[in-house]
Amino acid sequence: MPRIGVFICHCGENIGATVDAAAVAKAAGELPGVVHAVDYKYMCSDPGQNLIKEAIREKKLTGVVVGACSPRMHEPTFRRACAEAGLNAFLCEMANLREHCSWVHEKLPETTEKAIDLVRVMVEKVKRNRPLFPINVPITKTALVLGGGIAGIQAALDIANAGHPVVLVEREASIGGHMAQLSETFPTLDCSQCILTPRMVEVAQHPNIRLYTYSELESLEGFIGNFKAVIRKKARGIDEATCTGCGACIQKCPTKKIPSEFNAHLGHRTAIYVPFPQAVPNKPVIDRAHCTYYRTGKCKLCERVCPTKALRYDQEDLLVEVAVGAVVVATGYEVKGTDFFPEYGYGRYKDVITGLQFERLASASGPTLGAIRRPSDGQVPETVVFIACAGSRDPAKGLHYCSKICCMYTAKHAMLYKHKVHHGRPYVFYMDIRAGGKMYEEFVRRAIEEDQVSYIRGRVSRIYEKNGKLIVKGVDTLLNSRPVEIAADLVVLATAMVPQPDAEALAQKMKISYDGDRFLNEAHPKLRPVEMNTAGIFVAGACQAPKDIPETVAQASGAASKVIGLFSKDELSREPVVAVVNRTAPPLFSTCVGCFLCETACPYQAIEREEIKDRNGNVLKTVARVNQGVCQGCGTCVALCRSKSIDLQGFTNEQVFAELVAL
Amino acid sequence: MEALRQRARELLAAGTVQAVLGYAAGSEPDRARPCFVRTAAEADGLIWNEHCRQNLATYLQKPEVRALGRLALVARRSTLRALLQLAAENQLADGRVVALFVADDGAVTELPTLAAIEELVARLPRGLSDADRQELDRIAALPLGERQAYWAGEFARCIKCYACRAACPLCYCARCITEANQPQWIPVSSDPLGNLEWNIARAMHLAGRCVDCGSCSDACPEGIRLDLLNHVLAEEARTQFGAEPGYSVRKDYALASFKPDDKQEYIR
Repeated sequence: MPRIGVFICHCGENIGATVDAAAVAKAAGELPGVVHAVDYKYMCSDPGQNLIKEAIREKKLTGVVVGACSPRMHEPTFRRACAEAGLNAFLCEMANLREHCSWVHEKLPETTEKAIDLVRVMVEKVKRNRPLFPINVPITKTALVLGGGIAGIQAALDIANAGHPVVLVEREASIGGHMAQLSETFPTLDCSQCILTPRMVEVAQHPNIRLYTYSELESLEGFIGNFKAVIRKKARGIDEATCTGCGACIQKCPTKKIPSEFNAHLGHRTAIYVPFPQAVPNKPVIDRAHCTYYRTGKCKLCERVCPTKALRYDQEDLLVEVAVGAVVVATGYEVKGTDFFPEYGYGRYKDVITGLQFERLASASGPTLGAIRRPSDGQVPETVVFIACAGSRDPAKGLHYCSKICCMYTAKHAMLYKHKVHHGRPYVFYMDIRAGGKMYEEFVRRAIEEDQVSYIRGRVSRIYEKNGKLIVKGVDTLLNSRPVEIAADLVVLATAMVPQPDAEALAQKMKISYDGDRFLNEAHPKLRPVEMNTAGIFVAGACQAPKDIPETVAQASGAASKVIGLFSKDELSREPVVAVVNRTAPPLFSTCVGCFLCETACPYQAIEREEIKDRNGNVLKTVARVNQGVCQGCGTCVALCRSKSIDLQGFTNEQVFAELVAL
Repeated sequence: MEALRQRARELLAAGTVQAVLGYAAGSEPDRARPCFVRTAAEADGLIWNEHCRQNLATYLQKPEVRALGRLALVARRSTLRALLQLAAENQLADGRVVALFVADDGAVTELPTLAAIEELVARLPRGLSDADRQELDRIAALPLGERQAYWAGEFARCIKCYACRAACPLCYCARCITEANQPQWIPVSSDPLGNLEWNIARAMHLAGRCVDCGSCSDACPEGIRLDLLNHVLAEEARTQFGAEPGYSVRKDYALASFKPDDKQEYIR
């Protein structure tokens, strides 16, 4: 006979104000099988938990129902209390009298009636609960980091320094990401490459880091602690072991006029190239789309000049399979191009550039070697207009969100320009100046006060070319909305930060969630900011939302510490709420007929095939088996199975049916 | 008919198959019954006419039929589709069955592999007969309430004999959901609610799997047009998700697979 204890919580006023908790406890006490029913002001408090523990011991309870808040809130609390009193934790269930009842109804007799219904349902369920035991799964203590920008570099280094192997995958030919492209960084104006390149070198030299550049994630299967990743190592066209990185091939390459991605298309590169001088690894790749040999079948000049004969024209993509226990996604961002803006010339004007392009102009390693020269004719611009919020905070035409970094880098750009062109006149059109952050506001004030950058609060409606000048027509909303017209030599658009173009495809490949803007969705915006909803996958950097370098690095270290925490145990304990395929007496062995339609239904690839054999090893039947380590307990297979051969532990058909009948 | 008998004799004589499953004369002139031919001499009993409608693929899953060994199966279009769908659902190994497809003109095509069946099925005409299409359109045109009343009236006649299940080549579960009694999701008694639940559950279990053989309706002693109900769901699965059960051995179950280009109009 079941001996069920029911514990009704007032939750202070939360439940008590609308539901008559004492009446609920009284009614529950009369339900068949219930031997103990009480109410208490705060069941989650120590005295409240003690009520449960004492009742379990004294009344020899076989099941507990706590009528309180959402199980998301306190189920662990009450289950732990039950376990401490010697009752299997999974014999404790919660009836949600708060979110499902008191919070959503008025104080009426019917509200208490409903609370009684909810308790009765859970009493019927808990009568059919079976003791369950946590599932232990081993952890592969290797991390996969996707993206070799500053986020990926930081996460990889932190995990590697904690003593765990890291596989770092970067799709470009070198690690470094966008940070390697920046000239100086706000708010200190220290050189971006100077602080980044030591980290890049550290990655390359770290004994715990295996670096795959010019590589992409092909597929990811498995589950927390036990992922299987396939990495596509794209054909570089050279043998990395033999190549010394001398650069002779790059010097001799006859195809020299390819727009350089690293220089944001302002400079040129060759068909065989390294993206930038400090590239890690400093080994070139052949851009097959532009290489003369791949296009015409003739050339091979690079092979002739290579002192170590490292060229491999017939090299093919290589698929590498790695077993990892955790994944950090740090795939970064992209900026919108100037062609997005019809009012600023659809990208037609050469001297309307993006912020990222300005970074390259200001950078010592850039196409102008750090001199601010405009792209059209190489002249030093006398008047430069910076337009903040180009595409951001523009729900009508662009993106609704704030790209967060533009206010700061626009101030920085104006400052850098002024430092290099002392007589130059920088103007900044802005909507608001968002300079929250340590030393950020001071930095913007410095641009305005010391470097005399003219800040104009207003938007720019149109840019057009006239007599070699770019006429910027805007408005100054602090001067009675007076129209402003500036004849500029160069216009820099702080274009919006957007996810990588293939962010959605990557998220689908990894089965992680993303938002309407295609940024990745963290598990909880406040309390779980570096975790994804898919266990074992973490996120760092601008692939989650626009953020600057300090935030990115902090998040990367946060994600790394989560990974290190995961790797601190040898086994992972999981809730045993998993699906199970039934077993019956011979000759059926199981009512599963082995149609395996559940195989494709399972979102976690948890369905395996199991052969039932006789003593001589002859296969009698092939049935489905659920891998308990992989199963997430979603119940999709249970719903799909026509013969009801699969059941979900803790939410069995029998339990759910009993709940329905109790209503 | 003679061509069919001849092929059966040859296959049995050569030992290619252990039995030929075909049709023999029934108890009435307008009936045919399934028949297992095990020797070449017995092949004379095989017939082929418009009454040979039952989908013989239904018998393949039965343990006693499995025990017979390799079979030749006299097949209509829907029999071939059933074979492919059974293979897709891991119920039929390639080569276990030699299909003897009989065309309208009586010509017999021997199909020893699933690949051969796939190739032939792809070339056969598709679609419903004109009479069935008219009846389906008539029901579909009824206002919602009347349509519901129509089916409720039909299901009210159901006596839960499960002949539809017995006749269906894809109802091969070792234990049907209606026999699962812990818990008893579907009531066993033949009352209006139980009948409705049973028939809807069966229709849903066949959605995206049904090969349109019509054996369920042929078997129904009450003459309920279950085939039309199944056909509606088959059309939904096809137009919404591109489901074409019984045309390939590839597992592509519309209710259990997600494709990025799946239509989602029904959600919005």
